[in-house]
Amino acid sequence: MNRRQALLSIGGTVLLSSTLKSALAQGPEVVIGAIYPMSGPNAQVGVDARHAFDIALDVINNVTNLDLPTAKNAGLAGLANAKVRVVYADHQADPQKGRSEAERLITQEKVCAIVGCFHSSVSATVSATCERYGVPFVCADSSSPSLHRRNLKFFFRTAAHDEMFSEAMFNFLDALKAKGQKIGSVGLFYEDTIFGSDSANVQRKLAQERGYKVASDIKYRNNSPSLSAEVQQIKSANPDVLMPSSYTTDSILLIKTLAELGYKPHNIIAQAAGFVEKPTLDAVGDRLTGMISRASFSVDLGDKRASARAVNEKFKTAAGRDLNDQTSRQFTALLVLADAIDRARSTEPQKIRDALAATDIPGERTIMPWSRVKFGADGQNSFASPVLIQYVKGRFVTVYPFEVAGAQPIWPMSA
Amino acid sequence: MNAQALLQVLASGLLMGLIYALIAVGLSLIFGLMDVVNFAHGEFLMVAMYVTFGLAAFGHLDPIYSLPLVAAVMFILGASAYAGVVRYAMRAKANIGMVQIFATFGLATLTQGAAQYFFTPDYRNIQSSILGGKTLDLAGVFLPWPQLFGALVSVTAFGGLYLLMTRTDFGRALEATREDKGAVALVGIDSNRVFALGWGLGAALVGVAGAVLASFYYIHPQVGGSFAMIAYVTVALGGFGSVFGALAAGIIVGLVEAVTATLLPPALKAIGVYTLYLAVVFLRPQGLFGRL
Repeated sequence: MNRRQALLSIGGTVLLSSTLKSALAQGPEVVIGAIYPMSGPNAQVGVDARHAFDIALDVINNVTNLDLPTAKNAGLAGLANAKVRVVYADHQADPQKGRSEAERLITQEKVCAIVGCFHSSVSATVSATCERYGVPFVCADSSSPSLHRRNLKFFFRTAAHDEMFSEAMFNFLDALKAKGQKIGSVGLFYEDTIFGSDSANVQRKLAQERGYKVASDIKYRNNSPSLSAEVQQIKSANPDVLMPSSYTTDSILLIKTLAELGYKPHNIIAQAAGFVEKPTLDAVGDRLTGMISRASFSVDLGDKRASARAVNEKFKTAAGRDLNDQTSRQFTALLVLADAIDRARSTEPQKIRDALAATDIPGERTIMPWSRVKFGADGQNSFASPVLIQYVKGRFVTVYPFEVAGAQPIWPMSA
Repeated sequence: MNAQALLQVLASGLLMGLIYALIAVGLSLIFGLMDVVNFAHGEFLMVAMYVTFGLAAFGHLDPIYSLPLVAAVMFILGASAYAGVVRYAMRAKANIGMVQIFATFGLATLTQGAAQYFFTPDYRNIQSSILGGKTLDLAGVFLPWPQLFGALVSVTAFGGLYLLMTRTDFGRALEATREDKGAVALVGIDSNRVFALGWGLGAALVGVAGAVLASFYYIHPQVGGSFAMIAYVTVALGGFGSVFGALAAGIIVGLVEAVTATLLPPALKAIGVYTLYLAVVFLRPQGLFGRL
């Protein structure tokens, strides 16, 4: 062995032992997969989700004084302070791409759990794949009610689904009626993937049950170049409340086309998604004054949950926008998952699954307005109480339920 | 549905149709000239929209005024795309059609990726423009000014194109090169130059469409996709290579789409357009005005 070889081998040994030591000191690394639209028409959702997960990882991997699960210590205490890492995959809003990416993350990247996927259509295929491989899927932000009704053992949804959201909307309408408002008809306007169709199915059923006339029932093709003919139908039907379920691109186009065809809806109650996204509010916010949306989160919640304000500040610094319905749910989902891994004291998917099933986090220890996080046998958190928020003077305020409202609702929206 | 609502649907369809025609004509021109289908056509549209947006956001230039500038930028981009990519693809010895498809498809993917990297995937929107948000109310039929302006620009562009093709040496050179590439070389026309100018012209036309579209549509790196699909159908319907076929087909597509969305559930509105397209492919494969 000459001098160079000797030096190399010594260097190698030192390097190896130091990595070994740090690996031992930290415990195993925990790898979680996140499948989001990173390119395609909804790529901004993926970019924002990344910011939300980065903030969540900051909370998980570092010591903070926030009253949130896994926040108090560095890494996961139950797993020798192991750090959590998120591997991203791009589904481009395509359920089949989502399925193959889930497969790749599980088999190649060896992730111990997956979060996702924004589009309900993609969450459907990804969760089915996770079930097949026995890997937990935490659904952060897809709201189709059908997702948790498939008897999946590895499916967990922290946030409310559209049935809960839509029920809140109709409770709100009933409450307004009781206060003397005249509300006779609703107009459904929804995009043609599982998100829009499921949302409209629930709204149609609720409208019939509670005695509202469905004045228009318009299923449209998403990312259409033009919505003129569709808007003309809304205009002819002239419903008391327009209830759209749309992603960002269509939300912008819908509001623009409404204005172009000289129609001002009396009221809008939106199924969030595109209508709470910053680009929509930037583009057509002046025409959305008075719009009501369902929400899992509202910035004015910061007044009630201290950690919500702190997390929002962090997010705003990183992403240049406030936390919204989507990003708050993504943040929370990753934290809930990390908490389960922490309690499982293992990265074995089955143990994480069992720990998730045993999750019980009181609402005060989240940034959400929920009463708690506790999953039913179907994997749905039935304690994720939805709120309704109204867009007034360039910001959202909580208007329903009245007990937690920060302001009286403005009704009709132009009032 | 009353008569007014029907008129509204037809008017919206017609305005959109004229804009579809303007988007498609560049594609048709390039195909007619050299038998290359430009799969990056939607991306050209997207770049033009971003240029318009950039000029509006940073140069405070209204889309109406920036229109010639956008067309000029796109002309250069189109000519460079030919000189930098397509020219080489055309030299392929075997499978030349495939090579061209992959070359322009690659250009599309590259442009999209670059746009997402440099402009971020966020949705842009020209906040205030002279025509933005203004609507002409004709006895209850609403015609948005940006679309009206777009339709007007489209008609003007087709008029200009007609004059260019029939009254200028360049137009004749284009026509001649399209007819017989070998023969024009004998009379001293540099087909390479004509091709580059043809690509420039095609891109400039889609640039004009982009500038028009940017004043009322949202802008993001994938925005070209949905319009490109319609452009391909329009070109195939009108006849590959037929410039005025594109005009007629654009209007037909706009009207058929609007009427289908009214008669059928709007989610199925593409059915009308594609059924028509299939019928043309079966019954008249050269397209309505094609000369294949």
